[in-house]
Amino acid sequence: MDTNNNIAEEVKSALDSITHIQEIKTPPFFKDKTMRKLFDAKVAEEKIVFSWFTPKLQLATLVCIIVLNAFALIQLKTTIYDSNVSNFGENYSLSNNNETSILN
Amino acid sequence: MLEEKFINELGQGNREAYSQLIDDYEQKVFATCISFLPNKEDAEDIAQEVFLEVFKSIKKFKGNSKLSTWIYRITTNKCLEFIRKKNSKRRFAYMQSIFGNEISFDKTNYFTEFNHPGVLLENKEKSAIIFKAIHQLPETQKIVFTLHKVDGKSYKEISEIIEKSISSVESLMFRAKINLQKQLEYFYKNKN
Repeated sequence: MDTNNNIAEEVKSALDSITHIQEIKTPPFFKDKTMRKLFDAKVAEEKIVFSWFTPKLQLATLVCIIVLNAFALIQLKTTIYDSNVSNFGENYSLSNNNETSILN
Repeated sequence: MLEEKFINELGQGNREAYSQLIDDYEQKVFATCISFLPNKEDAEDIAQEVFLEVFKSIKKFKGNSKLSTWIYRITTNKCLEFIRKKNSKRRFAYMQSIFGNEISFDKTNYFTEFNHPGVLLENKEKSAIIFKAIHQLPETQKIVFTLHKVDGKSYKEISEIIEKSISSVESLMFRAKINLQKQLEYFYKNKN
């Protein structure tokens, strides 16, 4: 019985202790430190000119450039091959371009 | 109308407006932080983060509530987020300690190291116990109890901050008290 009373008292006293917390003043120079933090952050933000160019966009751009280059390289190889074949044909008179000419 | 003008100036990043904002709110924001957190250094860091968040997000503020309510909402969220991070870091450290250094399980709770500057020395042990118990309550009960009992806010102010009716706040407060009582009884029974 006594133990239960003691526990109840301890619980009550613990719950009361929370209402006796004293008010704490803001630490000195809080305002100065905060202002510096705010406006240093602003300067840093302004410095980032390409802030819209996010890493995702950068990656997408890189992929586009690689794909375009690969496509251009393939195209270039095909054109060179075709022109080489047609030069070879002309040099050895294998080309039938003349036969189809309407001038003959 | 005046508040609207002030919010516009904040949105434009006006230095004087921020100076005014900090003058008006530093004590209130810090008081709320120190109600949730058990030491002055962490409370100061979080209070600074609150103003930084206001600075970054003021353009998103639609004016659906008072500026003060919005700032208290940010403060409450920042404090809870900080406690969650601290506790998860400590749990991780505890898991690591299983394989290496020894840390007692009790050290995994952020409120074990209680160093609240507003608590009188004779109440330190009791306050540490109750702070720890508060942070085992469900989140809304924890917010309501801390804002009302520790920070001294009215039910009306709390209802605006957590966007619930006054009767819901009263009911949350009632349940928080019952849960705390149960927790403390359990603690003292096992202690004796």
